[in-house]
Amino acid sequence: MTAVAGEIRRILAAVTGRPELLGIPADTPLFGAGVALDSLTGTLLLREIRRQFSVDVAAEDLNLDALATLGTLAAFVGARAAVGGEAD
Amino acid sequence: MTGRGSGAGPAGADTAGPGPAGGTPGAHMVKCVVWDIDNTLLSGVYLESGAQPPPAAPGMAALLRELAARGIVHAIASRNPPAAAEYAARAAGCEFAAAECGWGRKSEAVARIAAELGIAVGALAFVDDDPYERAEVSFALPPVLVLSPEDMTEAVGWPEFSPSVITPEARRRGAMYAQRRRRLAAERSFGGSREEFLRSIGTRVTVAPAGPPDVPRLHELSQRTSQFNSAGAGLTEEAFRSLISSPGRGVLTVRLRDTFGDDGLVGASVVEHGVTESGMTGPEVTGPGVTGPEPGTWTVRLLMMSCRAMGRGVIEALLAWLARSAAREGAQAMQIPCALNDRNVPLRLALAAAGFRAPDGPGTGTSGRAVFQLDLRGPQPELPDWVTGPGRP
Repeated sequence: MTAVAGEIRRILAAVTGRPELLGIPADTPLFGAGVALDSLTGTLLLREIRRQFSVDVAAEDLNLDALATLGTLAAFVGARAAVGGEAD
Repeated sequence: MTGRGSGAGPAGADTAGPGPAGGTPGAHMVKCVVWDIDNTLLSGVYLESGAQPPPAAPGMAALLRELAARGIVHAIASRNPPAAAEYAARAAGCEFAAAECGWGRKSEAVARIAAELGIAVGALAFVDDDPYERAEVSFALPPVLVLSPEDMTEAVGWPEFSPSVITPEARRRGAMYAQRRRRLAAERSFGGSREEFLRSIGTRVTVAPAGPPDVPRLHELSQRTSQFNSAGAGLTEEAFRSLISSPGRGVLTVRLRDTFGDDGLVGASVVEHGVTESGMTGPEVTGPGVTGPEPGTWTVRLLMMSCRAMGRGVIEALLAWLARSAAREGAQAMQIPCALNDRNVPLRLALAAAGFRAPDGPGTGTSGRAVFQLDLRGPQPELPDWVTGPGRP
């Protein structure tokens, strides 16, 4: 799960072009203040998560609640990636 | 050897036809043709021709021009060095919106072009003389329409390449993708936040009620948009004409420009005031002090935006404009019924970012329908000062 969070930080830094996101804590909101994810950077993030972890967040989570914070997203992805044998 | 067969015409033509029903938005309409260079754009092999590379293939310049005039943009995927793409553009007398030159798989080059241009792979055609390359792209990217150069000559008459309306926005599309490339390069070298970048390049979003001259572009947008289209279906010109003049409804247009260029009309919304999703008319909304047995609700019947405007603050501006207008008129909630599919995830991201939520209903994330709702009794969303228009809320 911490490894997943680290990888998501790297993806966030890459899709936003903001290296400072490599150091954000787990309770950082992804929308609004904090990461300020929008439809463009959000789409790139979900695409990269699907590619790396084989987890399709948008297909499973109608309201995209998983994107509340870095921690909630890492937990969502970690739980599903482990089932698929993708983690570690 | 083509991806979808020739002779009998393209599969799925029944859903792609720009008929009176308006068609499915963006379904199979080709927005971009990705061209191979050797023996496709050129009448020979670039690297095997010594000092004088081969000229454009016969009829190629006219074919490229004809497609561009219909609002279809061109791109290059080639194993040649980048100089070959520049030569091919000069030889064919055409501007290419993107060029991928290198030794990787053609399917990967095509996918990168789709990502760079913000176009779904299902809206791409790929033209290559090499049957192996065509097979590889067909296998890796089934939604791409894969054609040989001979097929392409015939396919120019297919519905996939024949938009029903061609607006000024469509004719400028190739130039606008070139502007987009310059804008993206500027953003990569810009240090601050996206908001600061949008401000620094003089972004101007203008929101205004739609008028009759906007109808062809509104129809075109409703057909072409898929990543940002709440209805999941196109609307006819007739439907827009009647919506514009019907009481209790509002059609808003959104225009976008910055120092790189003018993108024209890139988005719109159709709103019913004081009407709930069930179709029941709510209490008359008269002003901020309105009270009634049911809260006044604005229903957004259609929210759409060109994917060209993605990442430029437009959808956020439109949602904030609608929410503030509804709140000002005394509405307590706004709802957006959405068709759910695997293509409009960007729209759901924008809705989630703006605070909309759908109560769990029959829809899943990729099929069915859901009604996204926003409570307007909380704090109002910010509207940047570069968003203007009559009656700015």
